[in-house]
Amino acid sequence: MKRRSVMSLLAGLSLSALMTAPALAADITVGMSWANYQEERWKIDESGLRAGLEEAGAELVTADAQSSNERQASDIDGLLARGVDVLLIVAWDSEAIIPSVERALAEGVPVIAYERQIEYPGVYYVAFDPVEVGRIQARELVRAQPKGDYVIIKGSPTDQYAHYVLTGQKEIIDPLIANGDITIVGEQWTDGWVPDNAQKNMENILTAVNDKVDAVLASNDGTAGGVVAALTSVGLEGIPVSGQDGDIAALNRIALGTQTVTAWKDARELGRLGAKVALELAKGTAPEDIEGSVVWDKGPKGTAQNASVLAPVTITHENLDVVVDADWISKEDLCAGVTENAPAACN
Amino acid sequence: MTTETLEPPSLAEPTNKRGFNVRTLSLVGLLVVIAVTFHFLSGGLFLSARNLYNLVVQTSVVAILACGMTLVIVTRNIDLSVGSVLGCVGMVIALLQIEIFPQDAAWNWPLTVAIGIGLGALIGAWHGVWIAYFGVPSFVVTLGGLLIFRGAAFEVAQGKTLAPFDPVYRLFGGGIDGALGVGPSWALFAIIMVLYGLGEVLVHRRQMRLGFDSTVRTKLLRFLAVFVVAAAFVATMNSYMKPRSDIGRGIPVPALVLLSVVLFMEFVTRFTTFGRYIFAIGGNIEAARLNGIPTRRTVLKVFIAMGVLCAIAAVVTTARLNAGTSSTGELLELSAIAAAVIGGASLSGGRGTIAGAVVGALIIQSLESGMVLIGASSSQRMVAIGLVLMVAVLADKYLSGEE
Amino acid sequence: MKPLIEMRGVSKAFGGVHAVEDVDVDLYPGEVVAVLGHNGAGKSTLMKMLAGAYRRDTGTVLVDGNPAELSSPAEAFDLGIETIHQTLALADNLDASANLFLGREIAWRVGPFKIMDSAQMRDHAAKVINQLNPRFTNLNTPCRDLSGGQRQTIAIARAIHFEARVLIMDEPTAALGPHETAMVGELIRELKAKGIGIFLISHDMHDVFDLADRLVVMKNGQVVGSAKKDDVTQDEVLGMIILGKCPPNAEPGPGARVSQ
Repeated sequence: MKRRSVMSLLAGLSLSALMTAPALAADITVGMSWANYQEERWKIDESGLRAGLEEAGAELVTADAQSSNERQASDIDGLLARGVDVLLIVAWDSEAIIPSVERALAEGVPVIAYERQIEYPGVYYVAFDPVEVGRIQARELVRAQPKGDYVIIKGSPTDQYAHYVLTGQKEIIDPLIANGDITIVGEQWTDGWVPDNAQKNMENILTAVNDKVDAVLASNDGTAGGVVAALTSVGLEGIPVSGQDGDIAALNRIALGTQTVTAWKDARELGRLGAKVALELAKGTAPEDIEGSVVWDKGPKGTAQNASVLAPVTITHENLDVVVDADWISKEDLCAGVTENAPAACN
Repeated sequence: MTTETLEPPSLAEPTNKRGFNVRTLSLVGLLVVIAVTFHFLSGGLFLSARNLYNLVVQTSVVAILACGMTLVIVTRNIDLSVGSVLGCVGMVIALLQIEIFPQDAAWNWPLTVAIGIGLGALIGAWHGVWIAYFGVPSFVVTLGGLLIFRGAAFEVAQGKTLAPFDPVYRLFGGGIDGALGVGPSWALFAIIMVLYGLGEVLVHRRQMRLGFDSTVRTKLLRFLAVFVVAAAFVATMNSYMKPRSDIGRGIPVPALVLLSVVLFMEFVTRFTTFGRYIFAIGGNIEAARLNGIPTRRTVLKVFIAMGVLCAIAAVVTTARLNAGTSSTGELLELSAIAAAVIGGASLSGGRGTIAGAVVGALIIQSLESGMVLIGASSSQRMVAIGLVLMVAVLADKYLSGEE
Repeated sequence: MKPLIEMRGVSKAFGGVHAVEDVDVDLYPGEVVAVLGHNGAGKSTLMKMLAGAYRRDTGTVLVDGNPAELSSPAEAFDLGIETIHQTLALADNLDASANLFLGREIAWRVGPFKIMDSAQMRDHAAKVINQLNPRFTNLNTPCRDLSGGQRQTIAIARAIHFEARVLIMDEPTAALGPHETAMVGELIRELKAKGIGIFLISHDMHDVFDLADRLVVMKNGQVVGSAKKDDVTQDEVLGMIILGKCPPNAEPGPGARVSQ
């Protein structure tokens, strides 16, 4: 606490010194309130965000709420006290955060909900498009297996994100179900996205349909791992399986040919997008005028918000070089155990 | 000496430790009812060799944990941390085996398993010291453990999924090659039956020498029952073929791991002073103390045993998934507690059996698998398992004649 | 004759409250010493220290003239000090034989484990219990389903089987009917005849005068006085218990009220 107050005092001093200068990007201070910076991926987001801001000469100040609603509220108060021009928030709890959001907006500081949606009018939303994730999964699976018996291994039933993904999957496959090309022979939610649960569900579905499965729509790479383990134990490994996240284990499976696709979300790109939107809003650009801005109203409450959504990258056997070139994975990890039918990225 | 003072335990007495245990038998009855019901509802799938093979493999992890949980519950404690400890130990094994040690070294997987088991024991001891020596309630200590070791599971590899494991290590998971095969399965069956028969004869002879009115009939019946069930089990496992072949799989390795755990734990609880002390502590800890039983050390050892079993379960789980993930084992503590309680462990302490816990785990997994076979959703499964848990405990209460 | 037990200046406090303060007590072979006093007078605490269940704060205890630490029940057992606790110290979920041998099972050591010889233990249990109470036949029944008398029998059987030289009996007849109380009285006389020293904690003045050779009265953790049974009347003993007044024929202790 003590350290933070000294810091904010110093920041306040430096800010007041700059106050008289004209409003250039170089004078912009961007605040970022992390929900839980301990999680691996946010460090990657931050590197993209920082890079995007540094190129424009803007300053980034961050605070980590360490999985606490109370701390996130006081973090945001602190950031506002430091006089940030725009505030990015990864909400720990998208409802509990709303009073803090209201305070920021009341002070005229634009608020950007980063990756986790905050359904509140006037909040700008920057995220990977979760519906697109589902579309990518279904699209690639249909490409590999246009007709036949499909199984859907859904995410956690209590996670809104899993429902978004399912929406995207359905958009692609529902017409094919209607015209009889695809039959859903089994579908199960995966409690807590836990791979072990996905494995058990897949094993039991395989028993129920006596192995007559042509493709599996798994909602992320973890559940895909469970699915592939279940398929392997009955000698069915190699049929089309989807995923998302670009887990190292999943990319290796794609190289080995036991998984078909992963929807890869390069967090650095999202960080750069966040930086771009933040700078625009700080400069006073109207939200709807930001390049690529769309209206997002697919949340549970149906609130219409301006948003910039980033399409995840489709990663398949053909373009594995993309993740290697982006330094997301080493060639060694990607190609571990790959012998026959090696992807181009492994040569 | 009169022989009537040493009459054989009557079958109507549910808590006797010899002969047939009425509680466990009634649980087996429940299991049979569930199996037959699902068999018809699923159009003949449930009792197929394939589903039974899967069921055994899927049950093994919860059953291993439930064996330890039974001991914990018998001492009137609880362990909420087992799922997290399993996840943490699994991640440490994965990290060492996949990232740290050379992948192709023959000593790699045995060493990582040994380290995992050591770590499990250490975590168990950590909980045990807080509970037995600092006097902090086990609910609180292991609730802390649940958070600590789930967090630690994440920290080990920063949430990354680690794969793949050594091919030999993977056999512990009972995948495509993770079974004994037909011949060795029968051989193992024969060895175990001979040892069991010899053991019964030795016990019988000793009882005769001491002038007990030893009951040949009960022993023979019991032997025959075990023989028939075990033979049916081996035959079933052998009749599930490897894909696109006529090679029978045989007993899956996870089932062997579980069998070893069960035999060892049955031995400990029935025949050793340590087992006796566990029950005495649960029955009346003050009496145990006044009779000179080292109550604290015993509780500590129970938690160490629980930690070791978590590590063994972690090996099976990670080998089965062929990956270490930070969410592995989430919510498993609830299944383990439910299995132990359905199996007759009393939360007020002093009562519970290893065999009951295994049957409890089988009941839970049968409901899980059976409901997927008939296309029920996960929410419907939760409702069903919750109801069975309550009904089983109610039935148990009436069977045991408690008020 | 050498005393079996000599307790000298024994004290014990719980959180600043003196439960037992500077107590001296002796016990000779074949002697029954009644320890009397109100609830909370310190008699149970004193006896639990002798049984190894509580550690004393200060003072010495000599067993057969040798100083004894008495830091655990096991140590007391090794010295031949057995206790029949008021609660009987039975695990209700275990049967008679398991309770009789609780903490002292007959076992073979195999590696880290001690494998119990259940047959042997049941054999011994049957013998000793049969000798005490021939009608006690349900040896395989958990203790929770036994009568008060049967439970008492198990606790007594422990002391007999392990050949107590000093026996502490804490309210042994409190939960018993008249017939069973008479049996306990008989037993005490038998044990006494074998040269076993007995501490008898009791509320029942009739029992005390019937069975004890000597009595020690405690009040507020201190000894009011001790006397040979024949030197004092029941009224005088009641006066010691209630008022802390030591009669002329008794030997006063530190807790005796000084008469004005």
